[in-house]
Amino acid sequence: MKGYKKYFRKRIVWYLITLVIAVILNFMLPRLMPGDPVAAITANSAAGLTDRTAAQQIYDEYAEAFGLDKPVYQQFFIWVGKLFTGDLGVSFINYPRTVSDMIGSAVWWTIGLQLPAILTGWIIGNLLGALAAYKGKFIDKGLMPASMFISGFPAFGLATILIFIFVVKLKVAPAGGGYSFDLLPSFSWRFISSVFVHYQLPFWSIVLTLIGGQAIGMRSMSIYELNADYVKYSRFLGVEDRKIVGYVFHNAMLPQVTGLALSMGTMIGGALVAEIVFSYPGLGYTLVRAITGQDYPVISGCTLIITVMVLIANLALEIIYGFIDPRVKAAQVE
Amino acid sequence: MGKIMLEVKDLNTKYITREKEDVYAVNNVSLKVEEGKSLGVAGESGCGKSTLALSLMGYYFPPLHYMSGDVIIDGKNISGMSPDLVRKTVLGEEIAYIPQAAMNALNPTKKIIRFIEDVIRAHEPKATKKDIRDLATERFQKLGLPPDVLDRYSVELSGGMKQRTVIAVSTILSPKVLIADEPSSALDVTSQKMVIKMLRDMMETGFIKSMVFITHELPLLYNVTDDIMVMYAGQIVEQGSAKEMVFDPVHPYSKGLMGSIIVPEEGIRGKKLDAIPGTPPNLKHPPAGCRFAPRCKYATEECRAGYIPTRVFAESRMMRCRLTEDQLREVYANE
Repeated sequence: MKGYKKYFRKRIVWYLITLVIAVILNFMLPRLMPGDPVAAITANSAAGLTDRTAAQQIYDEYAEAFGLDKPVYQQFFIWVGKLFTGDLGVSFINYPRTVSDMIGSAVWWTIGLQLPAILTGWIIGNLLGALAAYKGKFIDKGLMPASMFISGFPAFGLATILIFIFVVKLKVAPAGGGYSFDLLPSFSWRFISSVFVHYQLPFWSIVLTLIGGQAIGMRSMSIYELNADYVKYSRFLGVEDRKIVGYVFHNAMLPQVTGLALSMGTMIGGALVAEIVFSYPGLGYTLVRAITGQDYPVISGCTLIITVMVLIANLALEIIYGFIDPRVKAAQVE
Repeated sequence: MGKIMLEVKDLNTKYITREKEDVYAVNNVSLKVEEGKSLGVAGESGCGKSTLALSLMGYYFPPLHYMSGDVIIDGKNISGMSPDLVRKTVLGEEIAYIPQAAMNALNPTKKIIRFIEDVIRAHEPKATKKDIRDLATERFQKLGLPPDVLDRYSVELSGGMKQRTVIAVSTILSPKVLIADEPSSALDVTSQKMVIKMLRDMMETGFIKSMVFITHELPLLYNVTDDIMVMYAGQIVEQGSAKEMVFDPVHPYSKGLMGSIIVPEEGIRGKKLDAIPGTPPNLKHPPAGCRFAPRCKYATEECRAGYIPTRVFAESRMMRCRLTEDQLREVYANE
């Protein structure tokens, strides 16, 4: 157990280094975009003004309020300093709304949508793959290729197709948003049911894009495990079939857990796109609006939160992995 | 004569390949093993030794299929039984198996004791965890294995320890017949000795009542088993006591096999080693007549003509050759 803790201390140090690099990139990259956000905002507020100095004054005021009048490296240290107090700055386009406030309301929509969707897609995909390997026939020949085909679509493409089928043709689902426009968030039955109805299309579009890739991996891992010596040996000692299926499923799933950890970042990226198509009030939607408006603090804030979520998910999976695979635990302890 | 623990009568099994071709891997095999005795099965790789082992258990998985014949364990014919009944009442309990590759025979992500629980509960669903642990601890101690192995994963054990654990797990229900398929071929000599000692001890203490020991290492068989059976291309070619078979093989194939043993001795370097020329035949299309004929230097047209039955000689010995014992001995003498 001592070695185990030591291992995780080391891992956490690595995660912190990753975080530091991510923080630098998250700050720098938005600011490297061409264009001047303050000029755009000034142009908006100064519409109709003919006085050049007045416009210049508005510009300077905004630049000062946003902290953009200082050199970039100073801005960075101010930003990082504020990070420690939990202050992510102020939004440019929704001035004076704070970034923490914007992200705070968006992040729960994203977690509420993506965590269940990614896990559901992963579980269904793995079950399907295991069944395809074990039962063959219809599942292997019919369901597998179909799920592969569907997963071949990019998330936004599938989202558009779902909208076309369920919104335009069948008219059974709303086109977008987290809840009906005519409602305000509350704990009423009407609001919750509205959230549920709006949840379905984005949820299933994420789930469907994940199933195929997971299933194909699980299928080949299960076939490999089914032919392992321990399966044969267990059979010849009379161990029940369902127990053996359990062994196979458990062992075949291990690389799939690694796969989940590795692809967590990509999955969240893909799922953010689904949010945008459905105008879902999560981080993806907030991020896109921030990018179009060159809202640096919001972009940095969103990407930072996403980075932290991916890192936490990876660390959690790594800890879980030690528990489900004694071989990995042995390697971790060494 | 002791009670017969394992009796096999005219067993035939085959593999069906992906191309739907039949491969006749076990052909008209008959044998008997008495209580307290062990039978060794020898032969080159690809002679059907391992297939025979699998066929003896009455539990067939594709591509292996049962064709005809009987496998009788302590008076109970298991050949006509449904696979599920075989699994529940025969495997592990009446007949147990030690696989060729014991290195990977244990599930890497399960503790040994958890696997023993699954094995015992497959036959006695009501057994409690405590009873199982007590039984396993006692058995491991008696076999000279440290009981703390029970709470380990197979990856934490050395090769020799893994093999001995597999043997202990296989025999946990004191089966009447143990089938050991090359249990020691991947081990170093010290571990090999420990495995052999363990198998012998189990016979003496009655943890197993009889044994079929499959190997390609003939000197080992002489040390372990009472009788030896030599297989070639899915058929029995010669059978006799261990001593007779090792020191006085009669069939040309057995003779060649014994002659191929490399004994460390002075001047062996650079000396031309005896070996049987050629390789075992493809059993999709076994040669007509004697299956060994294509590689036998004494073969004549007659050998290739028709089926050669086995014949009994010297009271308790048996051989499958067109020539009699005396004719063969004469041929060898004139060489």
